[in-house]
Amino acid sequence: MAHIDAAHAGSAGGGGRVYWITWGALLVITLIMLVLDSAQVSRALLLTVLLGAMLVKATLIAGNFMHLRREHRGLIATVVVGLFVMGLVLYVLIAPDASRIHDMVMRR
Amino acid sequence: MASTQVIDRWQSGVDRWSGGVCPFAAGWRKVMMWWFIVTDGLLFAGFLASYGYARILTSSWPDQAEVFSLPYIAAMTFVLISSSATMAGAVDAAKRGAWDGALKFTLATALGGLIFLGMQAYEWTHIIGEGARLASNPWGDRAFGAYFFLLTGFHGSHVLTGVIVLLTTAARSAKRLSTAEGVEMTGLYWHFVDLVWVFIFTLFYLL
Repeated sequence: MAHIDAAHAGSAGGGGRVYWITWGALLVITLIMLVLDSAQVSRALLLTVLLGAMLVKATLIAGNFMHLRREHRGLIATVVVGLFVMGLVLYVLIAPDASRIHDMVMRR
Repeated sequence: MASTQVIDRWQSGVDRWSGGVCPFAAGWRKVMMWWFIVTDGLLFAGFLASYGYARILTSSWPDQAEVFSLPYIAAMTFVLISSSATMAGAVDAAKRGAWDGALKFTLATALGGLIFLGMQAYEWTHIIGEGARLASNPWGDRAFGAYFFLLTGFHGSHVLTGVIVLLTTAARSAKRLSTAEGVEMTGLYWHFVDLVWVFIFTLFYLL
């Protein structure tokens, strides 16, 4: 197992420059989000840009800091698809149904 | 089967699912850490979905800009993102065998975590001083206080756990007891804490 540990240990070394670029990108994106949040823009545009920026930041952290982009495709698929599908279930299926039940209760 | 034979089969790509030696071509610690991250991420996803539901159903949700100091929250975000960068540096140094560098970066990360926790404690003190409680608040919908304390408190408890793990890792690194993989596992957890904050910062403080 020591061989395996060594192989994995070597798989993510030497990324110093990538880390600092990622750090800078995350800070710049956060700054843009803050500026936009205080600017006079439509709610739809604000939602789109902020949610898009949030996903970009999450991708940068998972891909570069957590080295997910260097992992086996099966691991990437399991993590990303698993979270994405559960997110869809929570937001697309459960939330509207909860809203429907809430409306039924309010109508009584 | 001898260990070297297993490794040879794994490296040839034949046997990546044969008994848990190297599923996904990763060590078992890393795979288990990713499973933990996915399940813990789902817990936060549930909280945030519930929060989104509450937001949609109410018309009296407080204006966050009136409740929070957004520059202050931005400073908290800066601290956490920076600590994530130093953690990445610690992992990188450990993988190169530069243990002095790994120790310094790990301690810098722990310091970032402590600063974040201090800032969060100050924020909580301020909000509580303004009259916010779990079931009431002076700004609007009563669920606001519950979601604020639940989301930031649960995240804060993760940060506190992370700081303890970081300090343990630093102590082990100082004694040369750590392995590169061990530092990487600590890093994965810490980056996850940063990742969750990205969602809380956007969904709770900005939108």
